Formats: sequence, structure tokens, C-alpha cells
Amino acid sequence: MTEEKRPKNRLNKRFDKLRDREIHGYNPNDSGGRAFKKLKSNRLAVIGLIFVILTISASIFAPFVTQYDPQKVDLRSMLKPPSSDHILGTDKIGRDVFARIIYGGRISILVGLGSALGAALIGVSIGAYTGYRGGWWDSIFLRISEIVMSFPQIILVLLLVSILGQSLMNLIIIFTLTGWGSLYRMTRAQMLSLREEEYVQALRAFGLSRTMICYKHILPNALGPIMVNITLSTAMFILQEAGLSFLGLGVPLNIPTWGNILNVAQDLRILQNYWWVWLPSGITISFFVLAVNFVGDGLRDSTDPTLQG
Amino acid sequence: MILVISFLIYLGLELTPGDAVSFMLPPDALMNIKPAELEQIRDSLGLNQPFIVRYFLWLGGVIQGDFGYSLASGVPIKDIVLDRLPATLELSISALILSSILGVIFGTISALYRGSITDNCFTFFGMLGVSVPEFIFGLIALVIFALNLRWLPVGQRILPGYDSYWDHMPHLIMPAGVLALMMTAGVMRYSRSSMLDSLNKEFIRTARSKGVPEWRVNFIHGLRVALIPIVVLIGFRFPMLIGGTVIIEQVFQWPGVGELFVFNVRSQNYPLVMMVAFLSVIAVLLASFLIDLFTALLDPRVKLE
Amino acid sequence: MGIQKEAILTVKDLKTYIYVNNRCNRAVDGVSFEVFKGETLGIVGESGCGKSITASSIMQLLPRLSRIESGEITYHEKDKDIRIDLLERNGKSMRELRGADISMIFQDPMTALNPVYTIGSQIRENLLYHTSMSSQSMKEKAVELLQKMGIPLAEHRSGEYPHQFSGGMRQRAMIAMAMACNPKILIADEPTTALDVTIQAQIFELMQKLKEEHQTAIIMITHDMGVIAELANDVAVMYMGSIVEKGTVDEVLRNPAHPYTKALLQTIPKLGQGKKQKLEPIRGATPDPYMRPKGCQFMPRCDYASDECNQFPEDMQITDSHYAKCWKSKEVTKNV
Repeated sequence: MTEEKRPKNRLNKRFDKLRDREIHGYNPNDSGGRAFKKLKSNRLAVIGLIFVILTISASIFAPFVTQYDPQKVDLRSMLKPPSSDHILGTDKIGRDVFARIIYGGRISILVGLGSALGAALIGVSIGAYTGYRGGWWDSIFLRISEIVMSFPQIILVLLLVSILGQSLMNLIIIFTLTGWGSLYRMTRAQMLSLREEEYVQALRAFGLSRTMICYKHILPNALGPIMVNITLSTAMFILQEAGLSFLGLGVPLNIPTWGNILNVAQDLRILQNYWWVWLPSGITISFFVLAVNFVGDGLRDSTDPTLQG
Repeated sequence: MILVISFLIYLGLELTPGDAVSFMLPPDALMNIKPAELEQIRDSLGLNQPFIVRYFLWLGGVIQGDFGYSLASGVPIKDIVLDRLPATLELSISALILSSILGVIFGTISALYRGSITDNCFTFFGMLGVSVPEFIFGLIALVIFALNLRWLPVGQRILPGYDSYWDHMPHLIMPAGVLALMMTAGVMRYSRSSMLDSLNKEFIRTARSKGVPEWRVNFIHGLRVALIPIVVLIGFRFPMLIGGTVIIEQVFQWPGVGELFVFNVRSQNYPLVMMVAFLSVIAVLLASFLIDLFTALLDPRVKLE
Repeated sequence: MGIQKEAILTVKDLKTYIYVNNRCNRAVDGVSFEVFKGETLGIVGESGCGKSITASSIMQLLPRLSRIESGEITYHEKDKDIRIDLLERNGKSMRELRGADISMIFQDPMTALNPVYTIGSQIRENLLYHTSMSSQSMKEKAVELLQKMGIPLAEHRSGEYPHQFSGGMRQRAMIAMAMACNPKILIADEPTTALDVTIQAQIFELMQKLKEEHQTAIIMITHDMGVIAELANDVAVMYMGSIVEKGTVDEVLRNPAHPYTKALLQTIPKLGQGKKQKLEPIRGATPDPYMRPKGCQFMPRCDYASDECNQFPEDMQITDSHYAKCWKSKEVTKNV
């Protein structure tokens, strides 16, 4: 539509502004990589990243954030509501809730990130190599991943917990074992499409060994989606750990984690009357996972070349 | 595929503590038995046969519905599971249907009004739904609706004294509602992106070039094509039907298969645990098959094998 | 003179800007032409010169983040003129024109057709919204159209899906769809770029036939000069959003008046001139649309450039129907 009859809505006004700016000779400062710039412009992702960094720092530097020992039992101040003394009150046996959350973060984040990285390491290396080589190994691992992925994840995890027993290390191992499947599939798919590219043929003609080609040349191209997946997997594993610990089947109850703290919420009395014992932990998990998801989405937007404004 | 998994399950059964005999025999018989008789029974049951033969014997039993006996209570596993199954199915199917419909609707609205306030709200709630652990939602709902407002019952499925089927609907509302809320978030995000993808395709432009009205362009052309990957995704959620209910059932004390599973994992009742796991795998494989069927129906490019 | 030509579409000083990535791309920056009944106007140029956007503007099928900035697009219906640029983008009037008066066929028939609906139903969709035919007669008409486009076993084919057709047949099906309501103007946006050369010839033969039978005006968008030579009556050469030369095919191809046209023609190998003929690529590269040269857009790559080219050129008439946007057009025509 031409100028006279154009509806004065938000979109048109924005266009007018852009057009006038362009006509007057607009030259954006083209510094910094494109991906980084896009990330910066995604405000949610930035907020998410800040929150994640803050939380991780708080957990690592826990002793500086709170003076309380999360394990210290103080029977004289049981179930006290939030006060200037204990920022978030105390739990059933007098432990400071805030301290438990801060220290709990260490384990939860460790489990989440550790499992995600472990699953990524296994999934990516197997997927890359067998995907590239093809043949016998590829079929075997494909079958294995299909079997693992046929189980609903919680069921498989609980099954393994019942067999292997509960411990922090076991949990990370179990998560890694059940979680490598998706990254394996993704890497393999990328490998299958990229290995037909011409530059791979060229590298073969130069006589480079298969391993070199696979890891040094093809893999970096697939790195974008892998990073996104690791981020989102971390979020997923933290949620899973929370769920398991809530049931009492995750990390053993003596080590505080965000999920563990929520275990007491199964008691209806505490649920209703002593909200500070469980709710803050739940909120912390939610916000942290939300933040991680923001970062993951932002990463995905910035590494995907097909997305447009 | 199923065979391989069944083999693995049997392997697990064999390797876990608990005498094979003790869970294949009804417990009352076990109580009064003498060692010699025990050996005889072992023989007759083929327990002294090589591993492979035992595997096939077990497999045969399973196909006929004999899942063995629970270590703890001695009740046939089949009975226990069948008893609990309707509860879980009730919960998960209602949540699945609700979330699929709502998810697609909200996702489509989001995509069509892209960038608007509505879209941003939906997207935000979608993010929340995916980030907040399900039991938190459940717990909060419990506190607000059951404990404080006293609108809905605290948990359980049917209290004694209820006769008709509809009487226990109030019990269903919260667990199904919370589960549906979580699942809707995921479906909605995916629907939105699938819809946006579809609306970007060339054939949308062709449809407009024929003078077709917008509603038809968006729904008959756009949504119809966007549905294909959405259906696949909803299919991937089927495993949640068995697994996902585990936590919700715990929160609301819903007597389903999930709660059963957790309880027995705690008490290390391996036969039961194994069998439930096995059944869940079968459910997943069945679901994948159904999804393939649906996809072939929706997409003429896909040929059924 | 010849027969009085009847203009069916007039485009005057059209400007369409694209607003993507928070920038303003002046994709079409002042384009004017006329389309005559029963004749073919060819619009030729490199990728990115704005020819497709011009076509899309006529049907208001622009992408979401773009708009017709200014100018007039006038469709001359039997007794009245309709200003297309003033119509609401997907409003009732525009939709009435689309498909029935003005139709478009696209470059890649595989992606341009909806994969989940049969060819027949997609053709019928056009009839559904512009005619009041019964369901049965629409089915028959669809089959008839496919037959006319040279698709064998038309009745059976009508119930098949796009992926079951070959490339050439898909394009015929798309033409059938576009011609269903006998539009006065058919816009063909690079219809054969995705097809084999032999199929290309068949499609063009088909289009020629349609033009003669129905007196349809055709706007042919292409980057291939050969196609222009074959099919077009008039040709407009576009570069960086402007028409740099326009005239009849004879005039422009035999006597190019713009350095760009001349350079383009020199890049085409001529049959019969043997291996020794010189193919000169145009030196330099197409400028970034966001960093345009001041003055004439072609200047950095032009052999005839001089100081006066720093000012954006006006249209210089060579004959009544032939003009070029170049200060040096007289020189260019002399050096044939």
C-alpha cells in the first residue's frame, strides 16, 4: 500500500524508522562474530546466562555466601520460619534451609552438568566414529542405542538404581548410560550427511587418516547443535535428579541436593504448614532450569543459520 | 527387537538375588516344601536345564500371561499389574488427550500471532512448563486446592463407599491436570515451531496466489502439513504414559503402575520391577508402531512397509 | 504502425523495500512498465536484481517483513481501473483478483505444491473460490485442464500426489492450476530454472499456445537471455532494483543501449561461432544492496564510466519504445 492509505500500526512505524535510517547512510559496526552478536541481542539468553553464572558461583563459593553448615543439626531451632538469623528458616532437625540450598546446588549442578558432559562424550565420540566408518560397528551401536531408548527413561533409571544401589557416583553413571542415546543419534545423523560432502573426499585424497578426518575436520561443523544439546540435557538431568531425590531414590539423603530437600514435602503436614522448608528449593530448581533453557534456546537461535529476524 | 529386550530382562532376572524357584512358585507351596522336593520341582520346572532352555520356558510363560510372583507379597505379578493398570491408563490417557489438543491449539495461535503479546505469554508459559519439575506443580496444586481451599480431595483414587465411575472424577482432576499442564507446554512449543516452519514453505504462497482466504491458507494448508511432525513428537511422548506418571502418582498417592514401580524399587522386589520395565518397553514399541501408522495416514509421501 | 496494443497492467515508479535483519533493503527502487494483452514482457537480470520482488509486488505476495513503499500498480479491467497497490494485502478485493485475473507460477513445482493434497484437489481449490461450479463439474474441469496441458491419463493423474509426478509434469500441473480460471495476466517466475532443457522447450511451447488461445498477457521472469529471445515481445533488463534498459526484443538484443545489457550479451556463447569466440565475464561483482554506490549502480563495473556517472542517470530514449538508463547510451549503441 502507498504512504497515504497505509495503516498506522506498529510494524509500519518500525519500517518507516528503518527506511529513514537507511536513506541517511546507516553503517552498522560489524565487529564481533555473527553468532556472538546474535546471542547478545537475545536478552532472555543473556539474563539466563547471568543467573546461571551467579548460581554456580554461589554454590562454588558457598562458605562465603552462608555461615551455616548444611549438615549441622540444631534441635533447639527446629522448623523455624524465615528470620534475620536464618534467611529461609530451618528444617525438621534444625538445619539452615538456605545453606542446604546453596550447598545442595553443588551436587545438583554437578550431577546435571556431569551427566550431560559424560553422555555427550560417549554419544558424540561413538556417533562420530561409527557414523563415519559405517559397517558392522555402526549397526551394532545403532541397535544398542535403540534398545536403550526403548525404555521410558525414568523406568530405566529406576531399574538401574534398584540394581546398582544409590550413590552419587552411581547416579551420574546411570544418567550417562541412559542419556547418551540422543546425542549419539544426532551426531551420527550429522556425520552421515557431512561425510558425503566434497571436502571430505578431498581430504581423503590427501591421504588423511579416517580418525583425523572424523574428529578434526567434520566434527567442528557439527559442534553447534551439540552445544545446544548439552545445555538442554543439563537442564533435563537436573530435573531428573530432582524427581528421583524427591522420591528418595536419587542421591542418598545425607548429601543435600535440591531434590533431596524436597523429599520432606511428601509429609502433608510439612507441605501445608512449613512452606519454607520445601518451596524455596523448588523455586530454585525451576529458575535455574529456566535460565539454562533460555541459554540453550539462545544458543540454538544463534547457531542456526536458517533462522531470520 | 522385543526378543533382544526380553532376553536382557531375563538375564537381569537371573542375575539378581532371589532364587529363581522362589519367584516361580506360589509362596504357600514354598513354605512347606522339603529340600528333596525342592530339587524335584527344580528339575520338573527345568531349572537345572541350560540357560537357553530356561529362557525359552520363561518366555513361553510370559506370553501366556504368567509373569511369576512378587518376592514380597507372593501375589502373582500379573494380577498386581492388571489391578493397577486401569488407574495409570486413566491418568495418562486423559492427560495425553488434553495436552495434545490444548498444545496444538495454543501452539498454532502462538504461531499465527507471532510476536504479539499472546504469543509471548504462551511462549513464556511454555518455558515455565518445561522447566518446573512436575512434582513442584503437583505439590503447589495440592497445597492450594486441596489443603487450603479444600475444593478437591487430597489424593487417592477411589475412597470406599463410592459406587459410580463418575464419583472419583474430582480425584482425577488434579493429577491429570498437573500432568496435562506439563505435557501441554512441550507440545505447544513444538507445535509453534512446526507451524512456523510450515507457514514458511512455498506452497503457502501458491495457495495465496490462488486467492484462497487466509483461514484456509493457515489451517487447511499450514496446520495440516505442520501436524505431521507434531504427531511424531506426541508419539515420542508415549513412553511418558508409563514412565511419566511415576512421579505424579507418588505426589497424589494415585494407585497406579508408577507408584507400584517405585515402591518395589525401594524394596528391591526384582521380579516385579523387571516385569513392569518389560511391559513398559512393550508399550513404547507399540506406541512407535502406532505412530508410524498415523504418519503414513497423514503423509502420502510415506509408504507403509 | 501495427495493431493498437491494449495495456492490461501499468506499473508506475514502483518501490518495494524489504525490512529484514533490522535493515532496509531497497529491492525495487523505481520501476515502470506496461504489460499488453496477448503479449509477453520478459524481465531479465541476475539473482538479487529485484525481478522476483517486482512480480510478487504485483500480486501483493510479498514476504511478511516487506512492503510496497510507493508507486502505482494499475490493473485495467474491462471498464474500470483497479489500483492494486491500494488494496489490502490479503483482503477480499485482492483475493478476487488473484487466481482469476492475475495468476502466478513459481520456480520449483516440488515445493510450490502442497505435498499432502492431490493435484486435482489443488486445481479445484482455484475453481472453488472463483466460480460457482458444482463439485462434479469442478472435478471434470480439473481433468480437462490437465489434459490440455499435455498430461496423459489425466483422470487417473488428477487423483495423484505431487511427489508422484515428474518435474516437467509438475510444472504443467502448476500451469493448469494457474490457468484454471483463464486469467488475463500470467506471471511466470523462472518457471523452467529447475527443469531440463528439453522439458524447458516443451513448457515454453505450451505457454506460447496458451497465449495465442486465450490472449493471456505473460510476464516472464528469467535470468536466461535465450528464453527472452525465444518467447518475449518486449524485454526489461533489471539491475540493482531499477530497469536499466527496456524495449522490444529486437531492439534490445540487436542494439543494446546500456553497458550492462551489452556485457550480459557478451557472456553468452553464440552457436556457430566456434571455440575461438571470446566470452567476457562482467568484471567486478554485484554490490551489496546495503552498501550501494552513489549515482549509477553499474558504474564500478562499467567500461564507459566517467565523472557524470556519479549522478543517478535518467532514462534516455533511443526510439519510441526503446530507452536506457545511461548517460552514455548513444556511445553504447554506436559500438555494436
